[in-house]
Amino acid sequence: MSNLKVNIAGVEFKNPIITASGTFGFGREYDRFYNIEELGGICTKGLTIKPKQGNPYPRIAESYGGMLNSVGLQNPGVDHYLQTDDLLLAKRDVVVVANVAGSTLEDYIAIAEKMNDSKADMVELNISCPNVKEGGMAFGVLPASVEKVTAAVKKACKNKPIITKLSPNVSCIADNARAAEQGGADAISLINTLSGMAINYKTRKPILFNNNGGVSGACVKPVALKMVWDCFNAVQIPIIGLGGITSYTDVLEFMICGARAVQIGTHNFTEPCGARDIAKDLAQYVEENDMDINDLVGTLILNK
Amino acid sequence: MSELKDRVGEILLNERVAKDVYKMVIAFEDLPQNIKGGQFAHVKLNDKSHLLRRPFCICNYDRQKNTVTICYAVVGEGTKVLSGYEPGEKVKVLLPLGNGFVPDKNAKKIVLLGGGMGSAVLPAIPTCNPEYEYYTYLGFANKDKVALEEDLTKVSKEITVATDDGSYGKKGFITNVLAEDMERIKPDVVFCCGPEIMYKALKKALQGFDVPIIVSLEARMGCGIGACLVCNCKVMRKGVEEYARVCVDGPVFKLDEVVL
Repeated sequence: MSNLKVNIAGVEFKNPIITASGTFGFGREYDRFYNIEELGGICTKGLTIKPKQGNPYPRIAESYGGMLNSVGLQNPGVDHYLQTDDLLLAKRDVVVVANVAGSTLEDYIAIAEKMNDSKADMVELNISCPNVKEGGMAFGVLPASVEKVTAAVKKACKNKPIITKLSPNVSCIADNARAAEQGGADAISLINTLSGMAINYKTRKPILFNNNGGVSGACVKPVALKMVWDCFNAVQIPIIGLGGITSYTDVLEFMICGARAVQIGTHNFTEPCGARDIAKDLAQYVEENDMDINDLVGTLILNK
Repeated sequence: MSELKDRVGEILLNERVAKDVYKMVIAFEDLPQNIKGGQFAHVKLNDKSHLLRRPFCICNYDRQKNTVTICYAVVGEGTKVLSGYEPGEKVKVLLPLGNGFVPDKNAKKIVLLGGGMGSAVLPAIPTCNPEYEYYTYLGFANKDKVALEEDLTKVSKEITVATDDGSYGKKGFITNVLAEDMERIKPDVVFCCGPEIMYKALKKALQGFDVPIIVSLEARMGCGIGACLVCNCKVMRKGVEEYARVCVDGPVFKLDEVVL
């Protein structure tokens, strides 16, 4: 019998399609296009302990087959979330992954403690945001700090599975995957955006106010696939793959490389119903082939 | 039934109307009921190298023909690609997005003020609010850039065009031309769309006139529906500067609250 359900750290998803943090708000906007309960899960906009204004305009630029963003974690703060969207999302039949970020280890611990009171099913630890100067990313580069922040969050937030979201802007992502596992992460997700720049040749200036931004979209898929495969061979904990997915065949590729579930990010902007459509297409594929989607995970056959 | 949907439209017309300015008419099976002037259409390009949709104001619409008109300047890669689309080409469009210009019920006289391509926002306002008197002021850099005068002449009680260099219509900035007429017209509201520099000039030119000024802002966008937070603009609310989203909190704002 065909099966599309996946299980990550004890949490069951009705399908492996999750919307990526920062591209889907708290689900309200896309709920106007389709019932978000058709998705396996949603990741919230990155939350910080205090409300955050984010970076000045412009925050977005296009590149060939991709885009760059530098939003800088604009969000209403974790307390606002806990009083509003957390409660609304809890009523929905969809896995909710609360994405949290910080600038200091103390921030991460504080927000992780708050998350004990959240109704979210899982917590995704953003240690890889390239758009905030003093924070996030700094924790995501060196394996020792990946382990440290993961362990601290795990200790502070005992009753929720922790997903550590890895940055691709590192020398060896497999080392960081191992560090997250060592720190007690229940799962890892990758890849966050690649650090990049878009410039205007007329003004000789970067388009983004912040100069640099995070590259995402179809153009990053090959990088993401390889990194998922590298991590799959490095850790035992489940992997959530993301980076440039725009179709159900992309999902199959990520799962073959070792992802147990995937996230859809930039594609939501191109096609507002895109994540839902991918879930539908995937369901059809699995049924037509009478397969359990879990059987695909990590089945890549390398050339000799 | 979902509240919003992505519509597939067929391009009926895509023609040059001024230097680097194009008018595109897109036909749909049906149009949403609630289109307001000042709202925008988020258009997807058909090649995968351009994955961000492009926001264009709804220049006008026709309920009988189920068509929407957008008018755009070729300023970058996306609009260059769009300008090459032939009639018959299909495009995906989200519409109508954003808040739009909504006249007060007690208002009678409305000034429509357009600067350059900003003029493209104006024609839809009288289409959905035909009961008001419109006094239209359009400003362009020079004669080559003049667009939409004809469309707006039909629906305006008066129309005045000015160019910065005097090559067409009156010479000078349209904001100053309007200021000279304010005493005579006594409008209930000014609806304006143009570059930010024009809003600064407008604020100055209309100082001392007790009239609400409502403007439309432009921004690079991502999702267009309020989720991605990239189209931020600074506004003053309750004495505090904060970011608003151009796509859903705007694109139409009170000029007073916009931090220029």
